[in-house]
Amino acid sequence: MSDHARPGAGAVNEDKAAEEAQLRAVWANPTGWRYWTSVNNYQIGLWYGSAAFAFMLFAGLLALLVRAQLAVPENDLISPELYNQAFTLHGTVMMFLFAVPIFEAVAIFLLPPMLGAREMPFPRLGAFGFWSFFIGGVFVCGSIFFGAAPNSGWFMYPPLATSEQAGIGADIWLLGLSFIEVASIAAAVELIVGIMKCRAPGMRVNLMPLFAWYLLIVAGMILFAFPPLIAGDLLFEMQRMFDWPFFDPERGGDPLLWQHLFWIFGHPEVYIIFLPAIALLAMIIPTFSGRPIVGYSWIVLAAVGTGFLSFGLWVHHMFATGLPQISLAFFSAASEAVAIPTAVQIFVFIATMLAGRVIFSTPMLFAMGGIAIFIMGGLTGVMVALAPFDWQAHDTYFIVAHLHYVLIGGMLFPVFAGLYYYYPLIDGQRMSDRVGRLAFWLMFTGFNITFFPMHIAGLRGMPRRVYTYPADIGWDWLNLISTMGAVVLGIGMFAVVMDVTLHRRRQPRGEQNPWNAGTLEWLNEPEENWGVRSIPKVASRYPLWDQPTLAEDVRAGRGYLADAKEGRRETLVTSVLDAEPEQVLRVGGTSYVTIFCAATLGTVFVALTFKWWLVSLAAGIAFVGGVLYWLWTGTGEIPDRDEKDIGHGISLPLYASGVKSTGWWAMFITMTGDGTAFASLVFGYFFFWTIHTDFTGGQAGPGAFWPMAALALFALAWSVTLGAREINRQGSVLATRLLLVLGAVLAACGCAAALAGPWTSAMDPTAHVYPAIVWILVIWAAIHGAVGVLMQLYCLARSLAGRLTPRHDMELHNVALYWHFMLVTALVTFAVVGLFPEVL
Amino acid sequence: MLPALAALSACSGVQSALDPAGEEATQVATLFWVMTVGGGVIWAGTVALALYASRWKRHAATEQGAGRLIFWGGVVFPVVVLTALLSYALWLMPSLRPFGGEATQGLRIEIVGNQFWWHVVYRRDGAEVVSANEVRLPVGQRVEFALESADMIHSFWIPALGGKMDLIPGRTNRLSLLATKAGVYRGQCAEFCGISHALMAFPVVVSEPAEFDAWLEARTRPAIGLDGSPAAARLFVDRGCGDCHRVDGTEARGTAGPDLSHVGSRLTIGAGLLPNDDETLARFIAHPASLKAGSRMPAYLDLPAAELAEIAAWLKGLQ
Amino acid sequence: MWHLLPKEVESLWTLFTAPVVWAAHFLFCYLAAAVYCEKGFFGAGFDTLRLTIGLVTMAALAMIVLAAFLAWRQWGFGTGDPPHDDPSRRDRLLFQGYATLLLSGLSFVAVIFTALPALFLTGCLR
Repeated sequence: MSDHARPGAGAVNEDKAAEEAQLRAVWANPTGWRYWTSVNNYQIGLWYGSAAFAFMLFAGLLALLVRAQLAVPENDLISPELYNQAFTLHGTVMMFLFAVPIFEAVAIFLLPPMLGAREMPFPRLGAFGFWSFFIGGVFVCGSIFFGAAPNSGWFMYPPLATSEQAGIGADIWLLGLSFIEVASIAAAVELIVGIMKCRAPGMRVNLMPLFAWYLLIVAGMILFAFPPLIAGDLLFEMQRMFDWPFFDPERGGDPLLWQHLFWIFGHPEVYIIFLPAIALLAMIIPTFSGRPIVGYSWIVLAAVGTGFLSFGLWVHHMFATGLPQISLAFFSAASEAVAIPTAVQIFVFIATMLAGRVIFSTPMLFAMGGIAIFIMGGLTGVMVALAPFDWQAHDTYFIVAHLHYVLIGGMLFPVFAGLYYYYPLIDGQRMSDRVGRLAFWLMFTGFNITFFPMHIAGLRGMPRRVYTYPADIGWDWLNLISTMGAVVLGIGMFAVVMDVTLHRRRQPRGEQNPWNAGTLEWLNEPEENWGVRSIPKVASRYPLWDQPTLAEDVRAGRGYLADAKEGRRETLVTSVLDAEPEQVLRVGGTSYVTIFCAATLGTVFVALTFKWWLVSLAAGIAFVGGVLYWLWTGTGEIPDRDEKDIGHGISLPLYASGVKSTGWWAMFITMTGDGTAFASLVFGYFFFWTIHTDFTGGQAGPGAFWPMAALALFALAWSVTLGAREINRQGSVLATRLLLVLGAVLAACGCAAALAGPWTSAMDPTAHVYPAIVWILVIWAAIHGAVGVLMQLYCLARSLAGRLTPRHDMELHNVALYWHFMLVTALVTFAVVGLFPEVL
Repeated sequence: MLPALAALSACSGVQSALDPAGEEATQVATLFWVMTVGGGVIWAGTVALALYASRWKRHAATEQGAGRLIFWGGVVFPVVVLTALLSYALWLMPSLRPFGGEATQGLRIEIVGNQFWWHVVYRRDGAEVVSANEVRLPVGQRVEFALESADMIHSFWIPALGGKMDLIPGRTNRLSLLATKAGVYRGQCAEFCGISHALMAFPVVVSEPAEFDAWLEARTRPAIGLDGSPAAARLFVDRGCGDCHRVDGTEARGTAGPDLSHVGSRLTIGAGLLPNDDETLARFIAHPASLKAGSRMPAYLDLPAAELAEIAAWLKGLQ
Repeated sequence: MWHLLPKEVESLWTLFTAPVVWAAHFLFCYLAAAVYCEKGFFGAGFDTLRLTIGLVTMAALAMIVLAAFLAWRQWGFGTGDPPHDDPSRRDRLLFQGYATLLLSGLSFVAVIFTALPALFLTGCLR
């Protein structure tokens, strides 16, 4: 649009109508079965959310099966094997296929309109994440219908889970979930870049909606929490497939290493689940209190504080493993400390309600019910955080009660509050108040009847994960009551499902902002895909309350970037702290490549489960090919012109490289997660060193020569890559290409030298854990080196194809960034495997 | 809610942490009640405040006032309470399980966890007594346990006496318990260890020291009923039972299954699964897996009923 | 390598200073105790470990106090009251200062909590 030309009013309206039509066409979903190739954040968010809900209902049915079996003592309704599969899958599905994905779904759905963006920065990555999640989820859930579900508990402790008794279920768990973890990390990349770089102009960090603050912290936590599990999965699968003895004490391994890696993931996971749900409450409560939140900074404190402290709690799941009590005590202390930011959050909500006037709507009912339940879970959490009490409570029904109070109060009820609150954004009408209130009371009472007695059952000595129990030792009535409560809870959930599926007949089309909320997402029109008609300039935490003309300006197309003249999907990139406009980002549109990549990667994991090596290899090659095609056609495009006018006299560049480009950020974030996984493997190395007097077990090491040679080669490859970036910037295209070739050769030699260390010493990874951990570290470095080679060659190809020029060089910047991380990986790997045994 | 909890705990059973009969369990039960009462008050207060805040017709607080509430209620109060509670628990920790010192002078019990039974060895003054699936302790004497596992991770737990400790392959964990009240209690495996994890329990008999000493002394010799039926003893070895089970004083020297030297005197069979009598013994021998899925003992369905009864009667006689 | 730490990020990262100090302190206590209890430390007694933890705790607290002071300064020494929601660079800075100050307070308490075990426990106890 142009503010300067002022033709007649009619012409302006016509212009606007044409502009709007074009914008609509650009953002339109494909029709027919090609609808499923859509990558738009609304579709992805809805599919993601619906799939997660479906998985939740499935896991809920498994829980009812478990409760039915436990209703009376010595029951033989289901076999012990089915019972073990049912509770394992219940926990696994609820954690991995519902609790984490549902927040990814809500975030992908809500964040763009909330931040005043048209899209997430990497829509295709979001779609890829969804399809990965969906394929992996169906694979894991489907296993129970073949009697092949994992049966060793959702924590998969070796040696039980590495034994024959675990069957193929353990592989399904490990590989299926590794695949889903990839989706979570993809979501984390997307969320961090989206929140940091894609906010509407003027939305400084002190004006960001609290939901965004929470999600930023949570996405950061994912980067440090999920990779240790991926590293653990890798070690685990190496033991299951190739008999590398990481957890086998006979050959120097230790089952406790898995427990460390699992809970380093597992405890932050609880907060990764909890914080986004609280984030929903932080949006709902101000709306129904009719005022801005009191203590905005306190919420930031609480979110950041919880995010950090949650990484110092993991051993409280291992209080009974016989670690020194001094170690346990540190984790007791941190587990107590984490209650402080949690209390702050609760009191921020109470303070906000006190300072406002509360409308007790259905979402508020769920919110308050959730808080009441959660506080109790929090208080029992404070109790079990103390090691002496946990020695009694650990692995009993007291813990079952505690964790359900925390997760259902802190996550499920807030999510239902969010469902009732945000439903109008899905199709423009509210859900039924009557059904909502009925469902709430059924769920609330049903929940308490189910889980309160479990506290007592646990204290009376009932352990977890038992498929049966004897009569007359004080557990009979408590279990029967629990089972009856579970039925009531189930009916309550069913009522909500009915409401969602049948509501259209009852509710009239409502207004756009039915709760009179203050944040930008309420400008969203459910039938439009463009996020916002035009991008507003934000000057408040609650723009719809404080900027009276904003809604109309946005809708009339008077904001930024109101058009899509070039027929491309575009959104604004702004600066991190003050949200000053920096760039117009062209994002990817509808594509098959995302589904193709998810399907091929899924095939890799599924084929590995069944040990179909060739299928797996072929699918892996297809996946790499798919990713290369995706990158080649979908990223780093040189625009037809340098700048674009976004209105109000501002022109922004269409191309950015280095720190300014979103791709650079994505690389940085991905590699941070990758580095965490690597750090977990190094932790494993030193873990084995601590528990043994001679951790080499008398086995030969890789020596110092080859590791040092590998390090030198990788360092050279790194410097050559950096050189290529600089030379290219100065315009010497030919020299750049030569350097890239040289870098690839050096890196390839580095990979060979890395593997030569343990190879020439004939280290047998099945003989003892020491050669096994050395091999894993070296292979990790070599694979990263190989990916580095692929990247260098990709840049070379881009340069040869004229898609990478001295001015348009984002690929080279990103690859150089990768090589920084690669250098650190090489430095640590080869210093550890080559020098550490020598200096000992 | 609290009175309900208190009322329910009054009639706890043999496996209850709220009905303590040991020093650690007593201390922890006290800790529990302190926290429960405190937690209950905090819960009620916070929820009442939230309910008050959600009333429409009331005077709205100022932003400053509400901010002060966050500071005092969300920060100062929790910090004070948690510091006190953490200090209480940390102060408790060193005294709960004193290892070494006089503890090592007394009775030492080695437990090895197996799927799904317990191997138990008593050691005192150089004497060694091997048993299984039952633990006996003297009142008022601290006992040290050494915990190991032969296969999966298990967890040794006697709620009435104290907290649990895992049995982890490749590691030896220690636990120390002091029983304060004579009686019969029940312990159970608390770490999921496979298909019959639910059926891995054991009776715990706590008796006066003199009674315990007599019991232990008797266990250093072969069982009384050993010669009751030489034919049955012969059968026991011939049918292969002795390949896996040991019976002191006979040729049965197997170690893969529970030691049966004085099996007749135990309160239960099958690791706390069934009452110990001729009939259940015979049932167990005939088809262990039907009573306990995943049991590694083969079925003896082909064994003639008479032989089965004879072996069972002989085993029951091993007092 | 200035471009690895762009100024913008660097200034958002000041928010995390105090929690990072907590994390480092926590990690040190945990690793020191774990290594000491498994492998010993050249025959040093448990009190050496306690003393070391005490010293590291003092250092960590000092760093947090420093971070808190810088945050307090950025917050204008408490002259402005929250909520700091003006659409201006000044309020954004005040907000950052205030939030950093609050996080320093939490980290201070958390570091003291982490150090308490060294005060109460007199051995590895296992």
